[in-house]
This record gives sequence, structure tokens and C-alpha cells, in this order.
Amino acid sequence: MMTEDAAVRPQEDRTVLLVEDDSTIAEEIVADLTARGFHVRHEANGKAGLDRALTGEADVMIVDRLLPGMDGLSVIESMRQQGVRTPVLVLSALSAVDDRVTGLKAGGDDYLTKPFAIEELVARIEALLRRPDDTRATRLRAGALEMDLIERRVWRDGREIELLPREFRLLEYLMRRPGQVLTRSMLLEDVWQYRFIPRTNLVDVHIGKLRRKVDAPSEEPLIQSIRGTGFLLRVPD
Amino acid sequence: MFLTELFRTATFRITLMALAAMAGVMLMQFGLVYAQMEAVESRRSTELLEGEASLLAQMSPEHLEYVIRRRATGDLRLIISSAGLFDAGHALIAGDLHTWPRGLVADAKPQNIEIYPEEGAPYPLRLLAVTLPDRTILVLGRSFHLLAEQKLMLRHTMLVAAMPTFLFALFLGIALSHRALSRVKDMHEAIDRIMAGDIHERLPAARERDDVERLAGSVNRMLDRLERLMDGMREVGNDIAHDLRTPLSRVRARLERAGAAGLDADALNATIGRAVDDLDQCLGIITALLRIAELENSRRKAGFGHVVLSDLIADVFDLYEPIAETEGKRLLAQPGPPGLQVWGDRHLLIELLANLVDNAIKFTPEGGSITLGMRERAGEAVLMVTDNGVGIAPDERQAVLSRFYRSDKSRHVSGSGLGLSLVCAIAHLHEADVSIESGPDGTGTCFYITFPVQQ
Repeated sequence: MMTEDAAVRPQEDRTVLLVEDDSTIAEEIVADLTARGFHVRHEANGKAGLDRALTGEADVMIVDRLLPGMDGLSVIESMRQQGVRTPVLVLSALSAVDDRVTGLKAGGDDYLTKPFAIEELVARIEALLRRPDDTRATRLRAGALEMDLIERRVWRDGREIELLPREFRLLEYLMRRPGQVLTRSMLLEDVWQYRFIPRTNLVDVHIGKLRRKVDAPSEEPLIQSIRGTGFLLRVPD
Repeated sequence: MFLTELFRTATFRITLMALAAMAGVMLMQFGLVYAQMEAVESRRSTELLEGEASLLAQMSPEHLEYVIRRRATGDLRLIISSAGLFDAGHALIAGDLHTWPRGLVADAKPQNIEIYPEEGAPYPLRLLAVTLPDRTILVLGRSFHLLAEQKLMLRHTMLVAAMPTFLFALFLGIALSHRALSRVKDMHEAIDRIMAGDIHERLPAARERDDVERLAGSVNRMLDRLERLMDGMREVGNDIAHDLRTPLSRVRARLERAGAAGLDADALNATIGRAVDDLDQCLGIITALLRIAELENSRRKAGFGHVVLSDLIADVFDLYEPIAETEGKRLLAQPGPPGLQVWGDRHLLIELLANLVDNAIKFTPEGGSITLGMRERAGEAVLMVTDNGVGIAPDERQAVLSRFYRSDKSRHVSGSGLGLSLVCAIAHLHEADVSIESGPDGTGTCFYITFPVQQ
């Protein structure tokens, strides 16, 4: 199972390296992540951030794009050149048309535009820590759900569920990330490659449709809503 | 001080230049007349000298000597002409030339030679010497007196004619410059008032009869446009303030209430959650504004590529079909020419189409339908979003595309009011045109996004 490795490691062991020059934002992030059980290392400039990144102690990094001394993208680039594969979330106040593309091209793994909700940041860090790496599997299992990726069929405890292609795509995304909080913008970006939210309930409607098919009235609900944040596919412990 | 300012005006400089040109032309004309006069006089004196010489040469030597002698004593022509009869040794026989003129050659050709009289200043003469059959030499001379007189007269005429002309031109230049200066001064003052903040002030343009007035007219029209733009911006600023104030005051009231009342943990969390939602709405407005500004200023087209319109429509249809269904409206996708492509940024075009669809769903009553379509017309690719909702009045169609505009009919519908501005900004980046018309049966609204012909 792709999530087992991540699941066995308690959260206390996770080290987050934050490279951010804005002290107010950094303080907020450090306080919040520490409260959630992460170890947080904070560096306020690019040079120190790079030095720390090269020690390889961090499990995940949060790097601001605009940093004094050394630009955030340069930090990621030189880090990648030296073989450090730590996943990186790029933070930016810019949301220019192709800014995200350059951020990801430089070696970033995800991109978040300021201002953001702290839940969004946490959900994305969790996603980076538990990145599904086995994409060659043809059958997915998550609790009571089973999915055949080749025949495009889904079963819940042996009962087949009829899904539209878009619903199938959404459920596949959820099943690849069981027990993980997925925000609305993560779903929009990853399932629909859509990066701007004109309506907050757009994703909710899609999830609602899917939920009605996956969770029969008598069954225990598998797709949970998390207020203010997003959704989660529940799997038994 | 005033004079130096006057001399620095463009009008005065032009006057001076015209004056210099005029003086040049005048001098040239006089020079020509001068040269012409000299040539004519020289030719005439040559003819006279030659004519007289041939006449005199036919006389008998005795008679000739008599004539010469008489001319030297009693003839009035003495003033302008001289005559002398010399022997072969250049000794004077008769006449008023007392000595043989220095350098004279008896070759029957006119020569200009300086004569040195016994008393008085030397003077030039045009001389002709002819050797007669009896080897005496006849010398005839003609003074330049007449030519000198004529030249003097010409010089006087020139001065008399030129001086008043020059003075008049100078006076005209000063007067015109003065007028230009006072007009420019008026404009300067008007500009100063505008710069001081009086944006309603205009330059004096009268009826735009000349270049300066036409220029002032152009500046005025520019100011009109700027004033309208500034008004528009002020309006947008007010609208932003309004749209932010509503959710912000709600947040304030909520937090105040939460702080005052002894709420339990659940109620407190719920209140905080709603406050965050309101703040998200504010942030949404700000983000949308920044994004529009960014798109409007963007020249970067790094993400551009070929985008197949039918894929675009399918994606947006896929994203919005459930929400339309949930709200009791039908979303339809009409097939169009397959493989029809445009040059653009796929994500931005999805955003454009999604905003149009979102907008159409919002303004279509329950039971209504929204249709996505495309077509090709004269090489142009056109995206169409048609609804059979409330429609947009023809005079409001341009306004809805500007920032924050919401028609009175839609005041009760929530939203940032920026969706269509975003559509316009994205269309602009793609050099596409946005237009609004009534739906096919005269009701509802149809948005057309027309992309330029692809090379």
C-alpha cells in the first residue's frame, strides 16, 4: 500500500524546513505547524536555507519565492542540482500567468499563492509527505473500496458503483490519497487542472454527486467533509 | 526681461528667418541689376566709341584735326568723352588728352585705363586707339561717370526701399510674437491650474482656427478622456470600498458579538468559521482585482500553445454540468467544427469560459438553459455562451464588461462583479474580442469571444 510507509511514521518525526523572510508570516507558520506536531526549522534568507537544505534533515520544505540574498527558485535549483530530492512547496505573493510554471520548472513540487489559509498549507505539506509513488498499480484499494483502473470499474464491498468519467477521476484521486485532507483548490488543480475558483461550492457539488453514489443511505459514509478545509476519504485504521 | 522672452518665441524666430531670407533675395536682385547695368553700359560705350572712331577716320587729316581741336575746346560732350590725335611717336597733335595714356595700344579695341591729369585726382577712362592711314593715331575716350551715377542711384533706391520693409517686418514679428506669447501664457496658466488639481479646467482653444488652437483642442480632448478615466477609476475605487465594507462589517459584528456573549465552544467556532468565510470573500475580491491588473499588464505569453476549442468546451462542461443540474438549470454543449484551434493559454481560456458559464448560470432562472458552442467564420474562431435568462439591455452591454458593474436587475445576486472583467482581460491578452448580443429568439444573452484569424 502506498500510504503505509507514511502512516507508520509518527508525525513528531517530521521536519519541515521553512525558508521565509517575512517574520510575521514565518512566526504564524512555525507556531501552527509546531502545534500540529511538526519539527520546524526556520531560515530567513536563501543562502542559509540552501545550506540547511543540503544537510538533508528536512522531510519537506516550504520556500518563499522572493528572498533576500538568494532567490527562492535559485535555492531550489541548486539544491536539486546537488541531488537533494526533498519535496518543496513554493510560496509566492505573485500569481502571474506563468509564474507557477516557472516555480514548478525550477524543481518545486507544489505552488501556493499568498494569502492562503493555514489549513491549505498543512494539507499540501501532508500531501507532499505522503506523495503516492506507485502510479503503475492497475488496481487500487482503500478500505471497502476497490478500483480497476484498466476496466474503469469500482466496487464497494463487492457492490459495483456506476460512475461518470469525471466522478471516476475524482474517486481515483481520493483513493490514491486515503485518510488525507484534500482541499478544494487541490482537487480543482489536480483533478480538473483548474486554478481559479469563481465559486466556492463548485467542488462541493461534484463531491456531493460522488458521495451519493459511493455512500448508500444505509452505509457508513466514506467521504467526509472537513469544515472550512475540504474533504477526506476515510479508511479504517 | 519681456523683450528677451519675446525674442525667444518661435514666431519671432520665424520672422527673423523670413527677414534674413528676404534680405538675401533683395541683395541678390540688386547684385543682378548692378551687373546687368554694368554690362549694358560697357557694351553701349564700346559701340559709341567704335561708331565715332569709324566716322572720324573717314575725315581728311586736316578736317579731323579741326574737329578734335573744336571738341577739346567747345564741345559739351567733354564731360563724358575725351578725344586726342597723336603722331606715331605718341606726341599730342590736338585734343584734350594731354599725354599718351599709359599702356594704351592702338589696336582699335576698347581698354579701361587710368588717366593721370596734370591736376586733380586720377580717373578711369574707356579708351579706343585707331591708327589712321597717315600714321597718326586717333584716341577716343569715354568716362564712367554715367555708370557711377546710375550705381549711386541704385544704391540709394535700395536703401530707401529696404529699410522700411525691414522695419515693418521686424515690427510685425514683434507684434505676432507678442500675440503668440500672450496665448501661450494663457495656456501655461490653464495648465498650471490643471496641475494644481482643477481637472475641469481647459486650454483656450476658441474655434480651432489655427495650429495652436487645434493643438489646444487636442489637449482638451485628451483631458476629457483622462477625466472620464479618472472618474471611472474613482467609481471603481468606491465600488471596491463598498464591496469590501459589507463583508468586513459583518466580520466585525460577528467577532464583537462572539467576544461579548458567553458563547460555548461550538457556537464560538461556528462564528469564527463564518467570519473566516467573510474574510475569504474580501480576499477573493482583492485576488480577482490583482489578477485582472496582472492580466491587463501582462505581455508574457509563455503558456501559449494550440488549444482545441472542443476540448476546452468539454472541460468546462464537465466542471459545471453538476452545479447547473443542482440549481435546476440545463447546461448544453453544442458540437462545432472538430479540431478548431486557437492560439492561447489553455488554463486562462478555461478560466474565461468558466467565468462566462458561471455568470450565465447565475443569471438564468430555474428551468432555464445555458448552451456552450463554437463556430468558425471567415477564419475566425468564435466561442459562444448563450443563456435564456433575464438578458442584458443593449445600452448596458458595454457597461457590464467594465469592472464591478452589475445591472440593477442583478443587484441581489451575490458575486464579486469581477467575473466579466476577468473575461475581458483574458480575451484582451489573446487579442480576442468580446461582444454581447441577444439570444437567438430575442431573449436571454449570448456572449461571443471572437479570436483573431490564425496565421
